[in-house]
Amino acid sequence: MKKAVIAAVILFAGLAIWAIAAKVAEADKTESFANALAEPSVGNPAPALTLTDTKGKQHNLADYKGKYVVLEWVNFGCPFVKKHYGSGNMQATQKKAVDKGVVWLSVCSSAEGKQGHMAADDWNQEIADRKMSSTAVLIDESGTVGKTYGAKTTPHMYIVNPDGVLIYKGAIDDKPSTNQDDVPGARNHVLAALDESMAGKPVSTASTTPYGCSVKYK
Amino acid sequence: MLPSRPLLSAVALVCLSATLHGDEPSHVKVALIPEVRTIAPGAPFSVAVRLKMDPRWHTYWINPGDSGAPTQIKWNLPPGFEAGPIQWPHPQRIELPPLVSFGYEGEAALLVRITPPRDLKIGERVTLAAHVSWLECEELCVPGETTVSAVVQTEPQAENDPTHAIFFSEARARLPLDSGDWKFAAGSGRGFVRLTATPPLWLKDQVAEAAFFPETLGQFSNGRGSWDRRDGAYVMDLPQSDESTAPVRRLTGVLVSKSGWRGPGSERAIRVDVEIGSEIAGSAGALPGPAASASGGLPGAIGLAFIGGLLLNLMPCVFPVLSIKVLSLAGQADAPMRARMRNAGAYTLGVLVAFWALAGLLIALRAGGEQLGWGFQLQSPPVIAGLASLFFLIALNLFGVFEVGMSLTRLGGRNAGKSGEGAGASFSSGLLATIVATPCTAPFMGSALGFALTQPAPAALAIFTSLGAGMAVPFVALAASPRLLRFLPRPGAWMETMKQGLGFLLAATVVWLAWVLGQQTGSDGVAMLLAALVVQAVGAWVLGKWAVMTRSAAVRRTAGIVAAVLIVGSAAAAVKLAGSGAPPALETAATETWEPYSEARVNELRAAGRPVFVDFGAAWCLTCQVNERVALAAAPVLAKFREKNVATLKADWTSRDPAITQALTKLGRSGVPTYVLYSKDASAPPRLLPEVLTPTLVIDALDKL
Repeated sequence: MKKAVIAAVILFAGLAIWAIAAKVAEADKTESFANALAEPSVGNPAPALTLTDTKGKQHNLADYKGKYVVLEWVNFGCPFVKKHYGSGNMQATQKKAVDKGVVWLSVCSSAEGKQGHMAADDWNQEIADRKMSSTAVLIDESGTVGKTYGAKTTPHMYIVNPDGVLIYKGAIDDKPSTNQDDVPGARNHVLAALDESMAGKPVSTASTTPYGCSVKYK
Repeated sequence: MLPSRPLLSAVALVCLSATLHGDEPSHVKVALIPEVRTIAPGAPFSVAVRLKMDPRWHTYWINPGDSGAPTQIKWNLPPGFEAGPIQWPHPQRIELPPLVSFGYEGEAALLVRITPPRDLKIGERVTLAAHVSWLECEELCVPGETTVSAVVQTEPQAENDPTHAIFFSEARARLPLDSGDWKFAAGSGRGFVRLTATPPLWLKDQVAEAAFFPETLGQFSNGRGSWDRRDGAYVMDLPQSDESTAPVRRLTGVLVSKSGWRGPGSERAIRVDVEIGSEIAGSAGALPGPAASASGGLPGAIGLAFIGGLLLNLMPCVFPVLSIKVLSLAGQADAPMRARMRNAGAYTLGVLVAFWALAGLLIALRAGGEQLGWGFQLQSPPVIAGLASLFFLIALNLFGVFEVGMSLTRLGGRNAGKSGEGAGASFSSGLLATIVATPCTAPFMGSALGFALTQPAPAALAIFTSLGAGMAVPFVALAASPRLLRFLPRPGAWMETMKQGLGFLLAATVVWLAWVLGQQTGSDGVAMLLAALVVQAVGAWVLGKWAVMTRSAAVRRTAGIVAAVLIVGSAAAAVKLAGSGAPPALETAATETWEPYSEARVNELRAAGRPVFVDFGAAWCLTCQVNERVALAAAPVLAKFREKNVATLKADWTSRDPAITQALTKLGRSGVPTYVLYSKDASAPPRLLPEVLTPTLVIDALDKL
């Protein structure tokens, strides 16, 4: 009887300590949750990036020093992405950029089992079917790179200049909708930023609020 | 899971075209609901675009948050009609970590005010149409669009549709309040904006938590900001985002809290629209934690708990054990200091572990209670009633009406008698001494316990640790210097007397709690509590008379069950009744001074030279209920009514009485709440007060009479 009582008491004491620890951890978690998405700033060096593409080749952001790099977060299931691919806008933007010597990396941070995630072969088929001009499509299944870049939506665009500095982050254009009719009249922030930077001018609109569906992280 | 390549392409193409043609199955049903049946030329009226989302699907607020797109309405109205902006109900946070969106689950009613032209022809049917487009998301997102319409008749007088009265009342209760009596200020810090919210003087209730929804996109990172109470105001730090490079000069958005901004059960959202002022020093979150900012209550509680712990040593359920233990320790007076101190340390640890266990139990109970939606605020009537029941029961125990833990006391005694002490034995005797002491809570400990229940877990643990320390300290002192044993009184009848005396102190605490309850729920609430306490006393008496060692096990068991039912049942009833009681002021206001409304009575009173105040309300109108509680039942307002000899009439529109509907229409109002002040001068027009009342507002209006 005595041992049972002592055991019960120690159990409850343990419960108290555990409850406190859990509360403290939860407070930490909500803090870390708020910070789980980094926010790299325009004007600072772009975060490091190492991912494998759909053809099995590894890409390192550092390897592209000396060239402009555009990062495009993509998920073909998202109606906002469908707007830009369905209208041909994204492919046209990719081609214009690549023709200017820009390295265009499409990134998919969808976790396995979530919308947008595909096997490498299916990706390559999509690239062909949709006539994408991206230099490569990078698979970020774990979502680490997406979270490092603070990618919130699909599409979410980033431009890194030849010195490795982030010069643009945000939406692809200024008409946040799923309507393809909005594409022609919109200002393409990515092309504008590339044109300005390549001409040696500062980027006039360097940061905008991205629009789209949420990135399907793990 | 993935279809083969050619099929995938085909599906992709089909999906694309389906989106373009809107053929996908929708998870949102949209309807256009006008508040009125008939409209009059030039008279604005309200309509609602009601979106009903399937479970787990949501649509978005004006600022969708990290992703998504807000619902849009394109009006197709006859010429001359003008539609105002969407009045958005307050959103909720929809979290899909690490992203947060702002939107609606379940149902959302977007209200819009439409103004017909002045030259509208009477007798015509008018079709109001809207093209609504939205984004509905579960995990996947689907854009949706549809056209909705409604038909209204044009008449000289606009008439409400009574079938929609409750719907619109509920919809309006979800709109953010104008800041009104709350004062907001914003200052900019390094990477964050600090919002300071000062509650109105008449608001006695706490706002336990709040979430801020900024109206502008890209201004703030959408993590949940802190909400702390500091110096009588609330402070919230909002970390900024550098998405939009435009300088942020104003803080505009909506603050939402389940606590309500005009007291419990009141409207949950309030508008914030302030200029962001000067720099503030320090970093975000550099505010003292909620425990420390509990206005110095915590250090006081810790001090009181320590004293309570010391007192515990004198209780008859602890003292015999203690003295036996110390005597056996004295037997070791020749043992080296180190050994004695080690034993004393082990004893202290045993005591602390037992108190932490008690804290753990309390925290677990509270957490479980919180899941059930119980609050543990010291100011809420159910908590007061619960504490009063608990203290009364303990007082009965101290008087000796019944004994608890006799087996535990035997345990303690048996264990203490053992010789051959080691650290382990000291630990377990410390543990047991505490368990045995728990029934004899001293009044100091009682209030510390009650206070601890309302505090966050770390503060509760601190209080219990202090209790344990207080209880263990005399033992440690005696172990350190056994010579002090000489000054220890011998156990005797004085212990019992002292225990009973403390019982009276506890009884006094119960009286104080009953008085606090009376302030909150009136004499009816106190009477119910006292009745519950009587039943408790009966239960305690049963326990004391039949659940004793002199009776057989069967009798003891039955008595135990009966007593438990009586005690727990009456305590639960007291708590529940305290929680559901309407505030007394409202009742007395309703029965004593508020006459039922009738136009004849108004004229009669005015002819007799009295100003008249009419409160048009309904039971289903949340704003009405809150206004009555907050403003019309406030003592200063009632005093002003008496001072100005104002007659107060209440028009109850709960069943949409046509006579009252007519009266509202004549006043140019379409629904409730409506507040009218008639001066005694029959020629003066009636004065309408705003829909959201505060005591100051009403008093000012009465002063202008």
